[in-house]
Amino acid sequence: MISDHTEQKQESQKTGPVRRNGLRFDWQEALGLLGIYVILIVALSILSPYFLSVNNFLNILVAISVIGIMSVATTMVIVSGGIDLSIGSVVAIAGVIVSSLSLAVPMPLAILAALGIGIVVGCLNGLAVTRFNINPLIATLGMLSIVRGFAFVLSGGLTRDIFDEGFGFLGRGYLLGIPFQVIVMAILFLLAAWVMRQTTFGRSIYAIGGNAQAARLAGLPVRRLQMTVYILSGLSAAIGGVFLASQLSAGAPAAATGIELSVIAAVILGGSSLNGGKGTIWGTLLGVLILGTLNNGLTLLNVSSYYQDVARGVVLLLAVGLDQLRLRLIRRP
Amino acid sequence: MAENDLRTTHAPPEDVASTPPLLSMRGIRKSFSGVEVLHGVDLTLYSGEVLALLGENGAGKSTLIKILNGDYTRDAGEIFLAGNPVSLKSPRDAERLGIRVIYQELNYAPDLSVAENVLLGHLPHRRGPLGRFMVDWSEAFRRAERILASLNAHVDLRQPLRQLSVGKQQTVEIAKALSGQARILVMDEPTAALTPHEVTLLFETIARLRAQGVAIIYISHRLDEVERIAQRITVLRDGNVVGTVPISEVKRRDIVRMMIGRDLPTIDPRRHAVQGATALEVSHLSRPGAFTDVSFTLREGEIIGLFGLLGAGHAELIRAIFADEPATSGEIKIYGQAVHASSPRAVKRLRVGFVPEDRKVDGLILDMSVAENITLANWRNLSHYGVLQRRQERSRALHWMEHLSIRTTRGIQQEVRTLSGGNQQKTILARWLEHGTRLLLLCEPTRGVDIGARADIYATLEELREQGMALLLVSSDMDEILLMSDRVLVFARGRLVAEFDSSRANQELLLSAAAGGDA
Repeated sequence: MISDHTEQKQESQKTGPVRRNGLRFDWQEALGLLGIYVILIVALSILSPYFLSVNNFLNILVAISVIGIMSVATTMVIVSGGIDLSIGSVVAIAGVIVSSLSLAVPMPLAILAALGIGIVVGCLNGLAVTRFNINPLIATLGMLSIVRGFAFVLSGGLTRDIFDEGFGFLGRGYLLGIPFQVIVMAILFLLAAWVMRQTTFGRSIYAIGGNAQAARLAGLPVRRLQMTVYILSGLSAAIGGVFLASQLSAGAPAAATGIELSVIAAVILGGSSLNGGKGTIWGTLLGVLILGTLNNGLTLLNVSSYYQDVARGVVLLLAVGLDQLRLRLIRRP
Repeated sequence: MAENDLRTTHAPPEDVASTPPLLSMRGIRKSFSGVEVLHGVDLTLYSGEVLALLGENGAGKSTLIKILNGDYTRDAGEIFLAGNPVSLKSPRDAERLGIRVIYQELNYAPDLSVAENVLLGHLPHRRGPLGRFMVDWSEAFRRAERILASLNAHVDLRQPLRQLSVGKQQTVEIAKALSGQARILVMDEPTAALTPHEVTLLFETIARLRAQGVAIIYISHRLDEVERIAQRITVLRDGNVVGTVPISEVKRRDIVRMMIGRDLPTIDPRRHAVQGATALEVSHLSRPGAFTDVSFTLREGEIIGLFGLLGAGHAELIRAIFADEPATSGEIKIYGQAVHASSPRAVKRLRVGFVPEDRKVDGLILDMSVAENITLANWRNLSHYGVLQRRQERSRALHWMEHLSIRTTRGIQQEVRTLSGGNQQKTILARWLEHGTRLLLLCEPTRGVDIGARADIYATLEELREQGMALLLVSSDMDEILLMSDRVLVFARGRLVAEFDSSRANQELLLSAAAGGDA
């Protein structure tokens, strides 16, 4: 066969980064984020005497665990080229269901029912996107409203307390000195990172997010994969809802309003692209950690929570903006 | 460049002999991240000529054009326009000086009217204090009409551009360039998406532009087109000018040698190879609006070429066989088995592969690695309970990269986006070979692929045929169809109108059959 050496030469100038695409934790890709995180920690350590301690770090982990648990599946949704705005409402309805059913049925059954609702909502989202070709932003925006509405209907608009000793363990218990929900979050992150890197399911998600049409023509079951991803998203939101209800010892229909935006912000901060096909679980973890640490630090510094919102927005814009700049410098032909 | 001393000439074409050059680029150098890609390139262009700029992918053509268009700034060298030195710092500078580039991807506002597109950025406004906020529509239509008339184009000025054929859209793009008083027009692969008839119209337009004194730099991989319309050629290789010669003084062989620095091996497909069992049987296949009552049989070890003008139904047919958009009636049998597949996934299971027309849109996951793109259709066999066996994946990818000579600079983990067109196309081919395909459907397998890689692809297809694969080939390149196919089926208006033994067919026969349905 013929060698076309001229092509080779040109390509070396195109300086395309060897994208591992989640194959391996790409240090170069994550360096910017890691840098931001280190700077944040150093700055907060200097500014606040209370910041740098094991206890405070555990506080941060507890505070981010609900968002963290949800962000894992949200990363999959976003990498697949979709988006799920309904997860905040699912958190609320899961809590409402646990609190309503806990008086009538055994607690495990109530929890299962809550998780089931998450799966149902995920199914509906998936059907809307794959069968009715509704844009995922619109489909899940509609579902956000519907599910939140049902949360109020089911609860009569009331926050209901949960009286169950065992249930409190989920959100407030410790295992070997580590908060239980932090352990759950850690396991989910490890599992998801492995799934996204090593399994055909994970790689297929990258493929359909990168180019759904090409993936379909290569014989991937695109609709089934999208369906699965939305179901996982609904399920993980329901898990988050159960943990939140346990933390609060109550099911509140107004809980977690707007949490979907915090989750998506963390995922995007972690380097996922809203266009799909790009993003890593470890990047998302860094994104969640950065936003959580920022909140914690600003609270320690007695910054008003209004300004905390401002700071979160600024960090998100700065991080993503800097990342774009960096990519442009690397990609420069 | 001693070997080309005799050829390298800056003599203008005869008909504009004594005039000074309109454009002269001298000693242009450009480096990216410390690597020089243009090593002092000279280019001269005279009013009223078509200069073909030739070279393989990566030879430096697009870099040179981007410098001319002000997208990149040159590191060294001078550019003279009508004898005056000019600095080109941005595309706006280039536009002001009358230099316009028409890129492969047309660049327009599809929902605006033809007239607005022609005048995009130059819409005339009314007079008076607030006049400059108001479009002078009657003047706008007058101007657009005048420009389109000068191109002899008959287009409804009020129609949204989206509704025009690709060929007409391209005419509008040219008109747009002329509305900015272009003196130099650069066309990058302008015929890639055109039907043969539209190509003829485009060439008439080019002739008209020449007569008006516009100078054209014409970039194309298709040497037959270049021979038809260019007066001179400038050949680049590895960032150097290999030579500039009048087209009348060279043969196609010489041009190819200048481009790739050696002779191409001749492909001599072994006609009438032993053909085996029936691989594909299509009977009375129809889909309203696309194709009607099509029947034919394809055997193992055979290549059938499907030819037709744009919209003749052959491209839709091949997609229907892969169940991308399934047919509504009729029957498809693959290796004797009737297929009622509703998705590409189901057809793929029957060991059928599909190389789509637009590899970037329908073929590749551009952000993924070469290795993953090669193994994409075969993950099932490379995984164990859903876990990818990375070592196996790696060795399969390496096997195909070597076998099809896919060139990368960073190995199998390189993003497929950064590969040249030819290597990308080979990657898709490798995907289906890895899948174990025995019936391969190909759409325009060498579009936008340079000559060297094209020869590789032809050799591979020929080899597959000899190994008993059945191949169905859609191509708008008649040379390709005639070279590769055993039989050619010609389509017009959704119907199969003619069948030729390719040893007895020629371009005229194909074209007249393809045009016949329009009469």
